[in-house]
Amino acid sequence: MDKKSDALLRRMIKNWVNRQRPPDNGRERLLWEAAHGSRNKIDLTVLLFRPQIKSYPFSNSNDISQTLTAWINENSFHLGIQARLS
Amino acid sequence: MSIGAAKLDAISDSELIISLQAGSLEALGVLYDRHRGLVFRTAIAITGDSEAAADLLHDVFLRLHRFAAHVDPCRPLEPWLYRMTTNLAYTWVKRRQRWLRPLEDVADWLAGTHKDTPAYQAEMDDSWQQVQQAISSLPLSHRGVVVLYYVNDLSLQEISEILDIPVGTVKSRLHYGRQGLKHSLGILAGEIFPEMRYEFT
Repeated sequence: MDKKSDALLRRMIKNWVNRQRPPDNGRERLLWEAAHGSRNKIDLTVLLFRPQIKSYPFSNSNDISQTLTAWINENSFHLGIQARLS
Repeated sequence: MSIGAAKLDAISDSELIISLQAGSLEALGVLYDRHRGLVFRTAIAITGDSEAAADLLHDVFLRLHRFAAHVDPCRPLEPWLYRMTTNLAYTWVKRRQRWLRPLEDVADWLAGTHKDTPAYQAEMDDSWQQVQQAISSLPLSHRGVVVLYYVNDLSLQEISEILDIPVGTVKSRLHYGRQGLKHSLGILAGEIFPEMRYEFT
């Protein structure tokens, strides 16, 4: 393809793309979600590998779930989250 | 770290990324204002869907915020944005092809004469619609290269680094992409730019 045809192709595609506009409210939506997402983000590795969990003894599978529930209830205030288990 | 918005406008991307890494949402806002056109244009050119492009624009900057710690402030931000945008756009297109296209075909079939309506024909006669369809008809791998080359004016080397493929592959995909576009738009060229009717050959 020669340069003239290539330039024409470029112009056609750019003219089409430049007719499109990003949304006006995108910035506000992004900042709101970034702010709220970071505040409520829960790092699950904290639940699994946090050293304090070792202080809860468990011997069978039922104990594990009960221990985890107890741990979440005790630590949810410090993590700034609301933990709900159904 | 607290920097005034006016001051943020004057500083470099590199400094903004450092501020973002320190938790500044103002820095994220300035980076968004500065680069949203680039991301949106790339996204819409690959997806051909303005709503999807708006969502991808949002997702790209949300990921920039989330993964700011992994962005090297010493390097230009644009390649990171291009890479993230093309990857997310590819995923969107693949997902759509897998799930929505069959549903749309069924919907068209159920609509029966939809494609014969004047409104549909008017829409299809729109030259810009045909440019969009010409790009959308390209294989995804060719489409990404064509968009980065024609829409964003990137060099073959830059495209190679962004897509993580050899320069030879970029050249090959660009060649076949051009051929596809030329085939799709060859007749159209005379309609959009009558004065160039004989140049587009």
